[in-house]
Amino acid sequence: MLELRNITKTFPGVRALDSVSMRFRAGEIHGLIGENGAGKSTAIKVVTGIHQPDTGEIWYDGKRVVLENYRDSLAKGIGIVHQELHVIPDASVAENIMIDKLIANRWGIIDWESVYREARRYMEIVGLEVSPETMASGLSAAQKQQIQIAKALSADVRVLLLDEPTSSLTEHEAKRLFVVLNELRQKGVALIFVSHKLEEVFEICDRVTVLRDGLFVGEREVEGLTQAELISMMIGRTCNDEHLGVLNPDFSEVALEARKIVRAGKAKGASFKLHRGEVLGFYGLVGSGRTELARILIGEDRMDSGEVLVRGERVSIESVEECLYRHRIGYVTENRKEEGLFLENPILSNVALPVWPRIRNAVTRRIDEVLERSTANRYAEAMSVKTPSLDQVVGALSGGNQQKVSIGKWLAADCDILIIDEPTVGVDVGAKEQIHTLIWKLAAEQGKSIIVISSDLPEIVRMANRILVFREQEIVGEVKDIDTEAKSYEQVSEAIGKYLV
Amino acid sequence: MIAMALASPSFLTADTFFSQSRYVAFYVLVAMSQAVCLAVGDLNLTVGAIGSIITVALGLAISPEFAGLSPWVAVPIVFALGPLTGWLNGLIITRFKIDAFIVTLSMMFVYMGLRSGISGGNSYRIPEGFWWLGQGNIGGWLPYMALIVIAVLWWISYLYRNTVLGRRLLATGSNSEAARLSGINTKRMIVVAHVLSGGFSALAAIMWASWSGNAAPQTGDDWLIISFAVAIIGGTGLSGSLISPLGILVGAVIFKLIQHALVILKINDNYSNTLLGGLILLAIVVDRAREHFGKDGK
Repeated sequence: MLELRNITKTFPGVRALDSVSMRFRAGEIHGLIGENGAGKSTAIKVVTGIHQPDTGEIWYDGKRVVLENYRDSLAKGIGIVHQELHVIPDASVAENIMIDKLIANRWGIIDWESVYREARRYMEIVGLEVSPETMASGLSAAQKQQIQIAKALSADVRVLLLDEPTSSLTEHEAKRLFVVLNELRQKGVALIFVSHKLEEVFEICDRVTVLRDGLFVGEREVEGLTQAELISMMIGRTCNDEHLGVLNPDFSEVALEARKIVRAGKAKGASFKLHRGEVLGFYGLVGSGRTELARILIGEDRMDSGEVLVRGERVSIESVEECLYRHRIGYVTENRKEEGLFLENPILSNVALPVWPRIRNAVTRRIDEVLERSTANRYAEAMSVKTPSLDQVVGALSGGNQQKVSIGKWLAADCDILIIDEPTVGVDVGAKEQIHTLIWKLAAEQGKSIIVISSDLPEIVRMANRILVFREQEIVGEVKDIDTEAKSYEQVSEAIGKYLV
Repeated sequence: MIAMALASPSFLTADTFFSQSRYVAFYVLVAMSQAVCLAVGDLNLTVGAIGSIITVALGLAISPEFAGLSPWVAVPIVFALGPLTGWLNGLIITRFKIDAFIVTLSMMFVYMGLRSGISGGNSYRIPEGFWWLGQGNIGGWLPYMALIVIAVLWWISYLYRNTVLGRRLLATGSNSEAARLSGINTKRMIVVAHVLSGGFSALAAIMWASWSGNAAPQTGDDWLIISFAVAIIGGTGLSGSLISPLGILVGAVIFKLIQHALVILKINDNYSNTLLGGLILLAIVVDRAREHFGKDGK
């Protein structure tokens, strides 16, 4: 029914989709899976007209089509339900569903009777059992999700994409969503289900397409497929699972310690110790509380209760400024383009920014530009940033080099505790290897204490000596001695699996 | 139009050049007051309102009919009101997390109401003892006003290019999220920008009063558009992170030339806002276009 043929889409420095073909059929739920950065979200954006492919064709109902934008794709019957809940809180359920087609009489006055009747029809399909006049703000996450699906259906979609639809739902709510999806399947809608959660894929999908690093890996029927097979399709490169080597952390020296950190909706009493020279992995799904905990630690978010100790001393960190200049803790954000880098500025100032206060003249306040350049150069080189010059604008670098710049900044700032959130999102395979090695070396050779937050398990297994497992804002388990006992990815994965069930 | 002004014999004589330099100096200060806010990613609609408050305060303080204080005592105190009001703007914006547009829009009316209420619309006489600042010159040719503004331009250039504070202000304007997560206190940066802005407004107001020998409460009514027009023609981007002292100087000169051309063309003065508004829009469109087409070049 809907087919992508040899779609290629490149962004500066990254080939997000490389000649990818996919086929989606009516009356089927088709899982689209892959790790972070595999190209799923780009694929979704191509199908919904948000991105235009560089090359390749989209075929729909046996005809070649060009999807100009989302409005165009929706008009053709391709709708999407986003991961985030896009619901207008101060409007009623019916208004939310019918927002772009409120029925008016000939004087332009809205005919609420018909609007409610129409809305009720779609609410019934998705099983939303409230009055259409209810305000959306009072509804649960699951009910809001149902509104979004009803809204997509009201546009008479024949292809419906669901981007991580269960990420904000409880397990029970997710089950109800699956009932709705099953009904839509029976009505002949082609459903595309994007998810991180393999159990869900096995539960609901008829067929899966796996992407990896922008490449099409394969399409399989779910029946007869095992979870192990699927994982190996997603991760692929077995050679990469090998640990980089034995770290030699000093377990007598605690660099950073958290004691029972509580923050409503973000952390339920998290406690852990990070030792000198250690690479500690924070593993969990998106929203499991890893990044949330990190943001509390660096002072970006407040804690309701709990204690933080830096190098054995109890501290209260109120801002990133304090975190950096007083405690020498660096945080590499997962959204480097939005929160990490100054894209229109050169590498020079991006790396040297935290160093400025150290290299200025006490009287004239002038920043020593020679020292600035040599410092930036040293850390750009340490991170092997590939560039002709430090004056290169960061926005023009590849994803991998951008990430190296954002790590280099904290090294320049003399941080010996680093929290690195999703170190290789949007980074191509070669650079990924390099970044792993660089991070590992920082701990192994320079005694830096590093927390690596990632939902990419093989990545953590390669670098870390210890992994904390996060689920629903809690630390639910720990896997130790990964480096010394040379635990394989399968062993670690199995151990973690127990905690996540 | 600008060529016309240049060609006009009444414009480019050495004599007029130096008298015109006072206008240019004044425009630079008004524009700077806006530019420092634009550079940090904010904007400031109180530029003129602060100017008018300062003018009225100056009149009350040194006019012989009122307090009649010595300018040496009163002027520094009155000047301090500028950074103080700016600080208040910045504080409201950062503490209550309200958009700068809303805050400065409201405060603009607050200040304008105050100046009308206090002054009752009447001007104050500035004693001759304080005319030297606006009207005097060094060596018979270089006005003090021009000299001060040259110093201001140098200082601004030094601040933004060579100091930690200036670079942090620009970083905040460039990407406020990234700045905060890089250990910059972005709230403080916003407050600093508004304090600077208030300072420039105050300086402009004091110079204008001294120059005209008269503290008129209407001072500042046309500053808002001047501040945007000169700053933007001078290359200060609306999206923050850019400030060019030299550009603002050039912007001020162009602005003066345009005004001159209006006189030569005998265009009714009442239409000048229409023209300036259009000009600002044009400058922004050109800026956007340059940004858009220049991307690949970088």
